Amino acid sequence: MAPLDTLLAGLARERSTGALRVGRAGTIFLSEGRVTYMECAHTPGVERVLAARGRLPEAALRRLQADGGCRRLLEEGPVTLGELQYCVLGAVLDAAFFLLPVGGNRPKFRPGEQHWLGGQWYFDVAGLMRECARRRAYLAQIWPSALLDTAPVRPLPRLPGNGVMLDSVQWEVVTGADAEATPLDLAKRLGRSGYSVLLAVRRMAAAGLLAPPAETAPTHAKGATTTRATKEGTARHAAGGPAPTATDDATEATKDGAPQAAGEGAGQAVGDRQGVLPRRVPGAADQRPAHDSAARGLPLGPPISADPTDLALLMRLKKALEELS
Amino acid sequence: MLGLDDCLTEVMAIPGALDAMLLDQTSGMAVAISGPPQGVDAESSAAALTETLRATMDGLARSCPGETVRIDDMLVTTDKGHHLLRMLETVFEGPLIIYLRLDLERSNLALARYRLQAISSQLLT
Repeated sequence: MAPLDTLLAGLARERSTGALRVGRAGTIFLSEGRVTYMECAHTPGVERVLAARGRLPEAALRRLQADGGCRRLLEEGPVTLGELQYCVLGAVLDAAFFLLPVGGNRPKFRPGEQHWLGGQWYFDVAGLMRECARRRAYLAQIWPSALLDTAPVRPLPRLPGNGVMLDSVQWEVVTGADAEATPLDLAKRLGRSGYSVLLAVRRMAAAGLLAPPAETAPTHAKGATTTRATKEGTARHAAGGPAPTATDDATEATKDGAPQAAGEGAGQAVGDRQGVLPRRVPGAADQRPAHDSAARGLPLGPPISADPTDLALLMRLKKALEELS
Repeated sequence: MLGLDDCLTEVMAIPGALDAMLLDQTSGMAVAISGPPQGVDAESSAAALTETLRATMDGLARSCPGETVRIDDMLVTTDKGHHLLRMLETVFEGPLIIYLRLDLERSNLALARYRLQAISSQLLT
C-alpha cells in the first residue's frame, strides 16, 4: 500500500505545511515537512484519552479548543507539558500504526491547516515509518496470527491452568471485554492506545487465554453470558487479593452465578477443544509468516462478505463482456 | 514546567551521567535520546531495556504473591557502570521510563536516585 507512504514522503521532502485528509479514515497534520499530529478514526485521540483517563471532560476540552487553545490548556488544565507531549506522542504513533497502511482513499492536502494540539512534538516522516514497521514486527513476534486483531475479544470462560499473570492493560481488556467489542472498540472505551490493546490481545492469545474468533451468530450470544460470568469471577478475585492473577475463581462464579450459564460454559469449552486457534508447533518460530507482507491489514469500514463463487462468476461475466466488445 | 527534552537535559546534568534515554514501556520505543551512544543502536537498546524491565516485573510478581507489584526504580550494576531505570506512572499509557547509565567511579548513586525522583515529580503532576 505505497500511495500514502510515498505521498507523505513527498510532502516531507517539499517541507509542506498543512493537513492531509485521508478520506474518512483520518487526517495527518504537517508543519514544514514534519508530522505534528495525526488522527485516525479507529484509535482514541488525545482528547479521548484525556477524557477516558479522567483528566478533563471532553466538553471542557472543546471549550479550550475554541478559546485559548493549547497554551491555555497547559496554564489552567491539570496537564503538565511533559504529560501532554507524551500523550500526543503516543496518540500520533498509534494513529500512524493504523492509518498509514490504509492508503488509496484519495488523500486530499489542504495547505496551512493545523491541529490545535499540534506543535507539541515533531515527527520525522521516515522515523514514523520505521517505528510502525518495528511495532508490526514486534506484534508478529509475540503471536504471528492477525486473526484476533479484528474479532471481538472473548476471554476463555475457564482458565487452561491454575493461575495466570496479567499486566495492567490485559487486566483492563479482560474486565472490559463483552464478547462484542473488538480490540479497537475496547481501546476507545478504555482510553488506551489501539496498539497497546492489540499487544495485550496478542499476548493473551499466545498464552491461550482467548477463545477463537466466532464463526456464527448463536455462539456469539453464548459467549456473552459466559464472559459475563468470568468477569464476575475476576472482579470477585480482585476484591479478595490485589495480585493481578486470575485463578480458577472464575469457574466458581459460573457455578453459583447462574446454573444455565454454567451449562453453556461447559458446552463452549467442549467446542473450544476443536477450536481453530492456531497452536504453536515446536520449531515453528523460524517459519512464522513475515507479518508485514502476509497478514491482512485491518479493514476500514464493513467487512467484505462476498462469496468466492460470486466473485468467480463476476470475473467470468466481465471477461465475456470484454470479448464481446 | 519541564518538557520531555528538557527532562533529558536535566538527567544528563546528574554527576557521572554517561548517556540517558526516555523509553515507552508499552511499545518498547525510544522517546528521546541524549546524544548518540557509541556503537549502540538506540532502537534495539530501547526495546531490550523495556524487555528487561518486563521480565523483572514478571519475576517479582511471581515471587511476591498476594501483592500488586509496583516498581519505582531498578538498578543494575555491571563491571563498567551503573544502569538506573526509573518508572514514571502516567495516567495515559504504560509507564514512561527514564534510563540513565552512570560512570562507576565518578557517580554517586544516592544522589542520582534523588535527582531522578525530583526530575520525575517535575515532569508529571
